Amino acid sequence: MDTEVEHIYASDLMSDVLAFGKPHSLLLTGLATRQSIISAHMAEFVGVVLLRGKVPKDGAEKFAREHRLVLLSTNLDMYDACVRIHAIRKRQRATPPAKPVEQSKEEILLSREFSIQGGDFANAGMVSTEVKSILKKIGLDPLLIRRVAISTYEGEMNVVMHARRGQATLRVTPQMIEVIIEDEGKGIPDVELAMQEGFTTATEEMRALGFGSGMGLPNIKNNSDEMEIESEVGQGTTLRMRFFIK
Amino acid sequence: MTVKELIENMGLKPLSQFDDREITGVFVSDMLSDVMAGAQSGNLWVTVQTHKSIVPAANLVDVSAIIISSGKEVPRETIELATKHNIAILWSELPTFELVGKLYSLGLATG
Amino acid sequence: MSECQHQWEMTNIRFGFVVFEKCSHCNGIRTFFSASGHPMVGDEYVEGEHTWRCMENAQSLQFDLQCKQCGQLEKFDDVMGFLYCTECLDDCKVAILQKKYAEKKTWVIVAFGFLPRRKDTELSPRRLKILEDYFNQRRDTSRSTIAVLSFDLIDDFSRCKGEFIHDVGMLSLEPPKERKPLF
Ligand SMILES: [Zn+2]
Ligand SMILES: [Zn+2]
Repeated sequence: MDTEVEHIYASDLMSDVLAFGKPHSLLLTGLATRQSIISAHMAEFVGVVLLRGKVPKDGAEKFAREHRLVLLSTNLDMYDACVRIHAIRKRQRATPPAKPVEQSKEEILLSREFSIQGGDFANAGMVSTEVKSILKKIGLDPLLIRRVAISTYEGEMNVVMHARRGQATLRVTPQMIEVIIEDEGKGIPDVELAMQEGFTTATEEMRALGFGSGMGLPNIKNNSDEMEIESEVGQGTTLRMRFFIK
Repeated sequence: MTVKELIENMGLKPLSQFDDREITGVFVSDMLSDVMAGAQSGNLWVTVQTHKSIVPAANLVDVSAIIISSGKEVPRETIELATKHNIAILWSELPTFELVGKLYSLGLATG
Repeated sequence: MSECQHQWEMTNIRFGFVVFEKCSHCNGIRTFFSASGHPMVGDEYVEGEHTWRCMENAQSLQFDLQCKQCGQLEKFDDVMGFLYCTECLDDCKVAILQKKYAEKKTWVIVAFGFLPRRKDTELSPRRLKILEDYFNQRRDTSRSTIAVLSFDLIDDFSRCKGEFIHDVGMLSLEPPKERKPLF
């Protein structure tokens, strides 16, 4: 399968891939887990190159195959891989490919519900993957789908990390896509504070584990057209995201 | 090339205090385990990781300097720990991929 | 005995979490390394006369060393991670040694084994030396050296704020702020 690569993104940090990666990038990474393939898929990357002879783990290969992501492996390290690609770029002047923008004019009305299990890291990312493939089948703009996928993924991960269980609802109307994620979790005491870049809603224990959601909410805000959070401490959080179809 | 020469050539921003030394090569990774397994003494380490864990990891493999790429904000505790261990932390706004292109054009090779 | 001047290489790297469990009856602490890609969450469970509860997950990594010349493999299943001392406690032996070593440009790292300490899982000086050799072999030791200490030197785990070297953002999505004491 031949695909046009528009950018290179070299990182092992998946939160960065989700926040800063540009669509149609090729990811160079030494992290060979399924989460890295899912992150690349959510960010609408064309594929992933595993460096230093890393072997894909936890069903990463299967996920890539199912979602038509290019998965490559090399013995090069990140420095050499970047250098080689720079050399290719120098030789050929990159001509950005014309992106076909196909707008579906049909009336669409769709509603689907998914459940998310707190603490189930083995299946984390599966709901957003499903949402993405549903939207793809409808034939919406890939860049719009990407924004929905990234936001849903961040929201889903928050439930997996912080809540006992949650539910995601996907609604599509001719005007917009709406994703609602409700959870039974600890809730966010100060939503405004949680929206700030770098703030983490994680508890002390969670922070000790290396968890937080500082990237999550601002990243959702950047990717959605409208976002609302309602949260009650001890009860749970409802996150509403809307994406307008132009 | 030494760390100070590199700073001048690339316009990098030094964040910690350190003694100048020779750069033996470059190692790029955001995984500390990779650095502990693969980086060589005197290597320049390029990463977006800023947590203070990077300092002991860099120390274990004796890197000459850490370049924080992509304009990531570096916590003060990381800088303080680096100064204490005499490790250079340099800062760049360039994303890792672009930064590597520049390092290569200066004639630096892989570790 | 082989004549090989071993040249160690890191192999078989495992990512995971050091899981600390505490018994609510006897206040005993035990640890294990969980190689799953996520921290342990779970309720109390009874095992014999103990009631264990997961208190803490510290992200960490394990690895083995292999000699690239003779192929000898040294397994380090019993080392759950490498802790760097934050000198949080003035009376801690590690902190005292670290300050003393720093004058000689020797940097200290602590190999962390299993709790409760048992004779059969003790980190022998021979094996600590192998770890030390690994880190010193490829560095310019005229500038500085590495000393690998045993976690036996830590008297009070419940107050220790030492941190495990780990890959931030790999298993988890975001860096921790500041680690509180374990218990
Ligand atoms: Zn040998
Ligand atoms: Zn007990």
